[in-house]
Amino acid sequence: MSDNEIKIVSFLCNWCSYGAADLAGVSRMEYPADIRVIRIPCTGRMSPKFVLSAFREGADAVWVSG
Amino acid sequence: MPLKYVINPDVCLKLQKDKCGTCADVCPANAIDYTQTEETITLNAGSIVFSPGFKPFDPSRFDNYQYANYPNVVTSMEFERLLSASGPTHGHVMTMPKLPMKPKKKADKALAEKRKDPKKIAWFQCVGSRDMNKCDNAYCSSVCCMYAVKEAIIAKEHDPELEPYIFFMDMRTPGKEFEKYYQNAKEKHGINFVRARVHSVTEDRDTHDLNIRYADEMGQIVDDSFDMVVLSVGLEIPQETRDMAEKLGIDITDHGFCKTDSFEPVTSSRDGVYVSGVFNNPKDIPESVLDASAAASAAGDFLADVRGTMTKAEEKIEETNVIGDPPKIGVFVCDCGSNIAGVVDCPSLTEYAKELPYVEFATETLYACAQDTQDKMVETIKEKGLNRIVVAACTPKTHEPLFQESMVNAGLNKYLFEMTNIRNHNSWVHKNNPEIATEKAKDLVRMAVAKAALAQPLAEEKINVNDTVMVVGGGLAGLTAAKSLATQGYDTHIVEKKDVLGGEALKLYKTAQGEDVGEKMAALVADIEANEKITVHTNTTLEGVEGFVGNFKSKLVSGGNETELEHGVAVLATGAKCSEPTEYCFGDDDRIIKTLDLDKMLKEQDAKLDSVKTAVFIQCVGSREPNRPYCSRVCCTHSIDNAIELKKRNPETDVFILYRDIRTYGERELLYKEARELGVIFIRYEVDRKPEVKVEKDAVKITLIDHVLNQPVEIEADLLTLAAAIEPRKDERLANFFKVPLNDEGFFVEKHAKLGPAEFATDGVFVAGSGHYPKPVNEAATQGRAAASRALTLLAKKDSLFTSGTIATVDQEKCSQCGVCVSICPYNAPGFAADGRFAGTAEINPVLCKGCGLCVASCRSGALHLRGFDTNQIFSQIFALGEVV
Amino acid sequence: MNSTKTGSVVVIGGGISGMLSALDLANSGFYVYLVEKGPSIGGVMAQLDKTFPTNDCAM
Repeated sequence: MSDNEIKIVSFLCNWCSYGAADLAGVSRMEYPADIRVIRIPCTGRMSPKFVLSAFREGADAVWVSG
Repeated sequence: MPLKYVINPDVCLKLQKDKCGTCADVCPANAIDYTQTEETITLNAGSIVFSPGFKPFDPSRFDNYQYANYPNVVTSMEFERLLSASGPTHGHVMTMPKLPMKPKKKADKALAEKRKDPKKIAWFQCVGSRDMNKCDNAYCSSVCCMYAVKEAIIAKEHDPELEPYIFFMDMRTPGKEFEKYYQNAKEKHGINFVRARVHSVTEDRDTHDLNIRYADEMGQIVDDSFDMVVLSVGLEIPQETRDMAEKLGIDITDHGFCKTDSFEPVTSSRDGVYVSGVFNNPKDIPESVLDASAAASAAGDFLADVRGTMTKAEEKIEETNVIGDPPKIGVFVCDCGSNIAGVVDCPSLTEYAKELPYVEFATETLYACAQDTQDKMVETIKEKGLNRIVVAACTPKTHEPLFQESMVNAGLNKYLFEMTNIRNHNSWVHKNNPEIATEKAKDLVRMAVAKAALAQPLAEEKINVNDTVMVVGGGLAGLTAAKSLATQGYDTHIVEKKDVLGGEALKLYKTAQGEDVGEKMAALVADIEANEKITVHTNTTLEGVEGFVGNFKSKLVSGGNETELEHGVAVLATGAKCSEPTEYCFGDDDRIIKTLDLDKMLKEQDAKLDSVKTAVFIQCVGSREPNRPYCSRVCCTHSIDNAIELKKRNPETDVFILYRDIRTYGERELLYKEARELGVIFIRYEVDRKPEVKVEKDAVKITLIDHVLNQPVEIEADLLTLAAAIEPRKDERLANFFKVPLNDEGFFVEKHAKLGPAEFATDGVFVAGSGHYPKPVNEAATQGRAAASRALTLLAKKDSLFTSGTIATVDQEKCSQCGVCVSICPYNAPGFAADGRFAGTAEINPVLCKGCGLCVASCRSGALHLRGFDTNQIFSQIFALGEVV
Repeated sequence: MNSTKTGSVVVIGGGISGMLSALDLANSGFYVYLVEKGPSIGGVMAQLDKTFPTNDCAM
């Protein structure tokens, strides 16, 4: 991740938010390219460790959606 | 859907004049073939399912609404496209939508300048339905009330300042959760409902606003102005469908709908031809879905002895063992034509991928999903000895299974595959920033490669399916389901708590189509009892259920004797019952009865009926009330049917029906028409001004305010029939046995309101009949068949039913036996091992595990792993992001 | 029973009803021919924006 950009690490639930992000594409919506998606089977899979390590790796924000 | 382009041969220059040919030149997939011509193919089939659908009614022929001339009068179908994000205005509702978005003609340009966001929209109901004056469609189209309410709600969501008005005759919302939707539209969304049929529409020549004129409920003429008028057009069977029905040799009604028996509601008049969807009477999506499955069950019954003779078994390819081998990853970057390559620099992405750890091979493909690319992928895997594959393309939600199939064809475990989404999540949403999109694509590929390197082959557990079926409830729906399942060869057990089969249907006199229910039920019960594959357990209750899909164990108790039934699937068809009215002096006098009591009298040719001079029916007794907010669906038709019966027995009898909205959907509307023609008098009442009933010696006196005269009307009746609400059995114990939900009212909640109406979210458990929602004979039979068909698709997979590979597993050495996973799992998948070396530690039932990972995240000992999404794999993606900081 | 029957079914119409009939039949052991007049399957449902009463997207 380069320093001059904001980076958002997002954990998206396969069944809802990941599909919504797909739909945003299908609808040709535009949004900033600062986001990196990690697909998870359910937000129930989320562990605090994932959030902390994303910050440690330089993320400016972590987004969990499901 | 799928979005594929076709050539219109009437205007194609190449086909017409052999000029142009540009499309063939520019198509990178070489998909254009001008030489294709029409050809006739002959198919040999054992049976036909005919579901030709409908045409929305064309309102051009109505001169009073001026659809063809006014730019702001649109059909509901057109309005639907206006609301849609993929429609011509991208979901922006604007006036004059029928003009081109960028008009070229001068007159159109001038019009388009007057475009605005409508602030007041009127919906006109029953356009092309319930109308014998301007068209010949006497029937009700069943769906328009609900879709108009929906369109009004959604339009108001788009623009909260919008004032929507719906002009209707009767508001027909008799489906599951429909009445609440209607009430919410009124109370929460501020949709205005006006009971009136609009006489005419005129246009302001300058603004193109629309002036309408109608008579309100008091008979006063009202003029109002709207920015837009939406015509709620009905469903119509086009001539070509009628012609085809004739060719097929199946009988249709005057309106072109298929004629069917209420007890075999998807069977046409010709053997082997089955029908479904709107052609089989106007209906909404869930009913069409039920028809679809029911038709499959009926066609399957017809071909039961040749089932499986034409299908081919898939060839099994030996899986290569890759455990212990270092990862050799192949990366396939998809251009998706120009969808990805038009934004992302795919060649440089491919070069980048080649440099990533463990990547053995990377290539760019025009369309990764094309069949020839798939074949090539299989070859490459074998040739290069690849053991992990990454595809950077579109979304795994649609395409992962396709690529996994190629993995299997190449002898690789399908879980050694990883897909990353550089189209939907990248090129499509960052199309104005190609450089940044390329950088993002590199990150995404790097993350996917890091995850793939850790991928392990996963096993899918085979689920053993016991092919015995248990049907709970011996009413019409349950019996219909059992009959189909037994016909197709499955041992079926019917569990009925009463001493006879037949259920509530035994109390009915005739169906809406005039069939004698008693006779038909007797024939069905005889069929059931004669069927060797069916075991009937009457006087039997279900006292417990253990297990899961394919492996249920149910405890049946009959007369103190307990037996255990092992079965693979269950159909819950426990029905509903008639409620006991608590108003209108019910119980005080034997001249005040319920609908089913009248059915009994009609069945038994009760002599008391001969002396009835004035008969009154009160509708919605206990339905559409705060404590029972749903519509009971069947009562309008039922009362009208009985009113006709009384009128036919003695035309001198005065018959009154006191109602709130008459809900004779579909061709049931013809009964309503017939009743009026026979002189049955319909008087509407408001829920806050209900009829008052007084029992007197000579008569039952009913007083109500007439909605036309606004005057009190008094009727002295010698028979008052109350259309009492249909009540669910609210069987929480049964719901708990199978872990299936009940709604607020106590009806079963199906898997999906639209697409899964005959099954539960719990695998292997199906639903049919009035336990799902009150329904008449034909619909109960349809759902019975539909449940059977859905169960059959599972039973037929007996040898090929597997769990998912991406499920939780336990490292029992590390388990501290805390029990958090056992208590936290919504699917009851974890349990404690009963014996062996690890007794007391957690173990996961792979059949019940849905792979959500809740237990994995909550395990404090790190003993749980989620295959395919294991902790190290998720970390690897996070770390891959950090690498270039 | 008539032994000349063929274990295949023609489903005419590729709307929601026809598609699901075809799927159920194919999944329960019959060979299915799904015949649609238009260039793609999906029917009227695919043209709808949302569906009542859940307001789910029709696609």
